[in-house]
Amino acid sequence: MQATMTFWHKEWLAAWRNYHVLILAVVFVIFGIEAPLMAKLMPDLMKLALGNQLPIKLPQPTSSDSWQQFYKNTSQIGIFLLALIFSGSVSQEVSSGTLVNLVTKGLPRYAVIMAKYLVAVVQWVIAIGGSFLITWGYTAYYFPDDKSPHVWLAIWPVLLFGLFFIAVVLLGSTLINSNYAGFLVAALVFAGLALLNYVKAVKRWNPLALVTDNLDLVRGTEKITHILPACGVTVVAALVILGVTIWTFNRKRL
Amino acid sequence: MAILELQRVTKQFGDQRVLKGLDLTVPTGSIFGFVGENGAGKTTTMKLILGLDTLDSGQITVAGQPVRYGQTVTNQVVGYLPDVPAYYGYMTPTEYLTLCGRLTGMHQPDLAQRITQMLKTVDLPQNRHRIHGFSRGMKQRLGIAQALLNRPQLLICDEPTSALDPNGRSEFLDLLASLRGEMTILFSTHILTDVERISDQVGILHDGVLQVQGDLAALKRQYAQSQVQLKFASPTIAKQAVAAIARPAVQTGVHVTVPFQDDYGTMVEATLRALLAANVVPLAVDRQETSLEDIFREVTACRQQ
Repeated sequence: MQATMTFWHKEWLAAWRNYHVLILAVVFVIFGIEAPLMAKLMPDLMKLALGNQLPIKLPQPTSSDSWQQFYKNTSQIGIFLLALIFSGSVSQEVSSGTLVNLVTKGLPRYAVIMAKYLVAVVQWVIAIGGSFLITWGYTAYYFPDDKSPHVWLAIWPVLLFGLFFIAVVLLGSTLINSNYAGFLVAALVFAGLALLNYVKAVKRWNPLALVTDNLDLVRGTEKITHILPACGVTVVAALVILGVTIWTFNRKRL
Repeated sequence: MAILELQRVTKQFGDQRVLKGLDLTVPTGSIFGFVGENGAGKTTTMKLILGLDTLDSGQITVAGQPVRYGQTVTNQVVGYLPDVPAYYGYMTPTEYLTLCGRLTGMHQPDLAQRITQMLKTVDLPQNRHRIHGFSRGMKQRLGIAQALLNRPQLLICDEPTSALDPNGRSEFLDLLASLRGEMTILFSTHILTDVERISDQVGILHDGVLQVQGDLAALKRQYAQSQVQLKFASPTIAKQAVAAIARPAVQTGVHVTVPFQDDYGTMVEATLRALLAANVVPLAVDRQETSLEDIFREVTACRQQ
């Protein structure tokens, strides 16, 4: 535990000095501001672009549009930015040999993976949490309506999906000694889950539901119980993948 | 009493057998030169000692404790300096040494004092400059600081001087030599003069086993072959000299080496007489001492035949 904490401190220093924290902060703050702003400005932008040729009357934007934009940003860009940032997390250390000194000084290998995982999870939670709070504030300000009654409920599945996705990224980075391995493996897994979503029987169990059903949860057209099986699968899968990552790393030549 | 023992250690990568039953004993307090050609298996041996790689068979003990892959009990008494130490460039030396110290179980204020002391020993400034701006020599010195940080009983250095310039090499060897008596040092190299300069024990790794091991002075006596080296003005004159000497001699450019078993004075007198008679004058006459290089060549050549 002591070693994990020591390596955890090192990981935070790396995240700070390599500007990972800054990049995540900037991007997710932009997401937070952009979602309600785009929803608010979209009708005016459309009018400006199309002028009087617009055949239909655009409906007034609502808080629901703001949250739709937010969840699009997080599930389509945010999660992949996360994968990109942590893609070389393990592989880079293995290929550069930076872990050799530390392991020979008594750093257990599991502590490397645990610390990297926990630091990535905390960054994800802070990034999503911060972005969510900004969107929540602006949305409440711009759209004081009752179209989004379950705002706080819909964010938890996204956070949970992050736990799973980060585990996949770390596994990819541990399996293959390439800086892009983590990202590629995560992208492949994401694509695989998207394909799996076409099978109706497994849809409720698919971790992807945690980042695709959020708007329905916000609107209240879907209950959280509907995706509870997917939540369970996601948590179990995250733990299993994390275990496999540690097992793989224990056998990796440094 | 040996601080490090390897018994019948084997290691294979694919179909290549790197170590074929390696036996190695490093006496406590010695500076042990671990010599071998590039690719002989020196780094593999060191990684096995450090538990960084798995043994195929055999046993390794450090300070009486068996080494097990991935378990770092024995590493608590070992300091390791890799051939090309890799660091986190975004850290300062103090931050890096603090990380290393914490992992070895050191605590403040002892750790802070030790870091200041080690940076002073290796002549590195204690400031906010980050490691990514360091030269190779500075990185090597930081490497020795981290290796010595936890006051190890056994210091393992893998080709520590191969990346250094002559001045850096000399300073580094002086530093290693100054540690004599404080700890046991095992250092691998293919630069034989480095071993001769500071080692008292030598092991020559060749063909997967230790061909020779022991006290360097004793090995020199064992492998001693007396010879005289004569230097001439040109290779042509050297060739004439070989013909004139009328005893076994080997020409290498302007040098002629004459091995002998009888008395040195008698042999030199006879040789010079023969040369003068042939009107050939050497520029220099030099009695050759047996070097580690001679022993290395003899040992590896014998095993190749």
